[in-house]
Amino acid sequence: MAIRSKAVPVACGLFLGLVLCSSGIAKDDASRLKALKSRVNAIAAETAYVESITQIQRLGRAFGYYTDKGFFGEAADLFTDNGTFQWGVDGVYKGKARIRELLTRHGGGSLKEAPGLPFGRLNLRMQLQPMVTVAADGNSAHARWREWGLLGQYKKEAVWGDAIAEDDYVKENGVWKIATRRYYLNFEAPYQGGWAALKPVTGSWPSAVAKEFPPDAPAPKAYAPFPTVFVPPYHYADGTLRAIQSRAPFDVPKRPDDSLGKLEARADAQELQLAREHSVRAIENLQAMYGYYIDKGQWQKAAALFSRDGSYEFGQSGVYIGNAHVERGLSLMGPQGLETGQLNNYVMVQPIIHVSDDNRTAKVRWRSDVQLSRAGQGRWGGGVYENEYVNDKGTWRFSKLHYYVTFWGDYEQGWAAKPIPMDAASTTIPPDRPPTVVYQSFPKLQVVPYHYVNPVSGKPNAGE
Amino acid sequence: MLKSKILSLAARRLRASFAFCLFVASAHAASSDADLKAVESDLNALGNRIQRLQDLNEVQIVQHAYGYYVDKAQWRSLADLFADDATLEIGGKGVFLGKKRVFEYMTVGLGAIGPHDGLLIDHQQFQCLPTIHEDGVSAEMRCIAFVMSSGGWGHVYYEDDFIKENGVWKFKKLHGPFNMYSGYKAGWVDNVIVNTFPEKFPPWPDLPPTIIYLTYPSYYIEPFHYPNPVTGNPMPAPSPRAGGEAFGR
Repeated sequence: MAIRSKAVPVACGLFLGLVLCSSGIAKDDASRLKALKSRVNAIAAETAYVESITQIQRLGRAFGYYTDKGFFGEAADLFTDNGTFQWGVDGVYKGKARIRELLTRHGGGSLKEAPGLPFGRLNLRMQLQPMVTVAADGNSAHARWREWGLLGQYKKEAVWGDAIAEDDYVKENGVWKIATRRYYLNFEAPYQGGWAALKPVTGSWPSAVAKEFPPDAPAPKAYAPFPTVFVPPYHYADGTLRAIQSRAPFDVPKRPDDSLGKLEARADAQELQLAREHSVRAIENLQAMYGYYIDKGQWQKAAALFSRDGSYEFGQSGVYIGNAHVERGLSLMGPQGLETGQLNNYVMVQPIIHVSDDNRTAKVRWRSDVQLSRAGQGRWGGGVYENEYVNDKGTWRFSKLHYYVTFWGDYEQGWAAKPIPMDAASTTIPPDRPPTVVYQSFPKLQVVPYHYVNPVSGKPNAGE
Repeated sequence: MLKSKILSLAARRLRASFAFCLFVASAHAASSDADLKAVESDLNALGNRIQRLQDLNEVQIVQHAYGYYVDKAQWRSLADLFADDATLEIGGKGVFLGKKRVFEYMTVGLGAIGPHDGLLIDHQQFQCLPTIHEDGVSAEMRCIAFVMSSGGWGHVYYEDDFIKENGVWKFKKLHGPFNMYSGYKAGWVDNVIVNTFPEKFPPWPDLPPTIIYLTYPSYYIEPFHYPNPVTGNPMPAPSPRAGGEAFGR
């Protein structure tokens, strides 16, 4: 009896032991589940972050398409209700109605008969090279853009426009909007003569629009446009690298073959897929950042974007290896910071971005249009990059930059009438290695090898 | 008797504790199943969004690859970017049906395969604004081709359709209305080409142009495939009195 009466708790104890034992697994499961849930939250946050970058790119591009064709009200609608637009040194215009009128007056449209443009008016304002930094809270952001304008009036004038915009954005009720655009006009140069013929401004240089349509507030700081070299303030001057960061490389762990393990493995796969898309945006930003530094002769800042053993190769000038030598190679373009009258615009466009399956490296084809000025001579250039990048503990760097020159051409006569050959390797600042590919630029044509197969057929390029 | 009472009491206790144990175990299993389902559904939703991000990059790659192939007149590689039943309409030339006709348009209309020294035809792809549709297998994109050629300048819009077949994005429709073409010497102040038209050069199109319009110095706006990203409003019609009605769809 005594034995039997003990048998009950023993039996029960045994059973409870089993339960406890299984809830020992359950406890482990619970902590795994908790970890998985917090990873899912992190994936959600990172997804929203990368989406924000793409949505801000979309805003800037939509702005360009509206202004191109005189949809100035639509363009102003991309701003917050109390959004502001700072135009050059003119000053600041506040609120959608004022921004609409500002854009209409500059673009040559009609406030009464909008949208549209009158016969003969050209107002193409291409919005290029976005460098987007989303704040840690996910509700505010900054971006730097390049505006390349083709402006004018038929039979009257053709004008090149060049400007940098530094924008602030806010997310209101889940929608990204432009809060502030600081539009740093660099030049509006008559087609005849181009930017190289521009004379320095003396004193203040308000636009004709500002004289008839005064701003609501003065510009916070005056500056002089080209041919003076002015660097519009960078929103990333505080050293934040968030825009060129993504997830550091990680090994995908092996997960147990249970129902929780299957979900863990799925989260792993999604983390990696997301990390690669995040990297796509970080690399776009990196190339844009590089371009903005090159524009202004900031060789040191540009060279710092390379990995320690990164290489730089331009045309037939040879290969420079390591940050210090890359900087020397870049300095072949001119003195640090450039001199008055030197224009060094390298427009970074048309990326074909392939991040490796493991998110450790990337290859990208880019294109650059080049607008130069040296000693009063204007020059056009065009070329293709085949670059390589490395994910250095979560920060993307150039491991190899290779610019193939398609053409150089004299501004006055054009590339067809007066192509200019490439420079040979420098003898004063010699490269570490000779050019990896020997070729001639226009009028010769060279197919720059593609790092990718045809994205649809999957076939390698057979030259046809 | 006592013995059997005790036994039955013991049995009851055992049953009770057994039942209790079962209850605890099953309750635990139920909540964990629900948790797993919730996590799975979160991952599904996020997976779709991450896939959209990848799609955005992939459709842009197709458009950008197109531009690099044009640069070097690699028409076969270019035609391979199109779905078999894709269409192409550039400028005012009319519509070409199917991949083979896309290839013919390029080789007959634009020149023999491969780069020709002395002839620059750079078709730079700028400012692409892609939209991946809810179905995940169709997309649209607005882009610019900024042309720097031996002849001078060109500015073209694209409003293209893409389709995802067997996991691969392709052109379904390439539509490239012109904005401005001009010579080099004076730029767009003069010497502009207002459009191409069907009979201007062979090959002849399969269908007439979907739209007749004149480009710069006249005004034409290719409709936006997307609503205003902030207000959500569709594109308003351009006003004829602002110059904005050089077309009728």
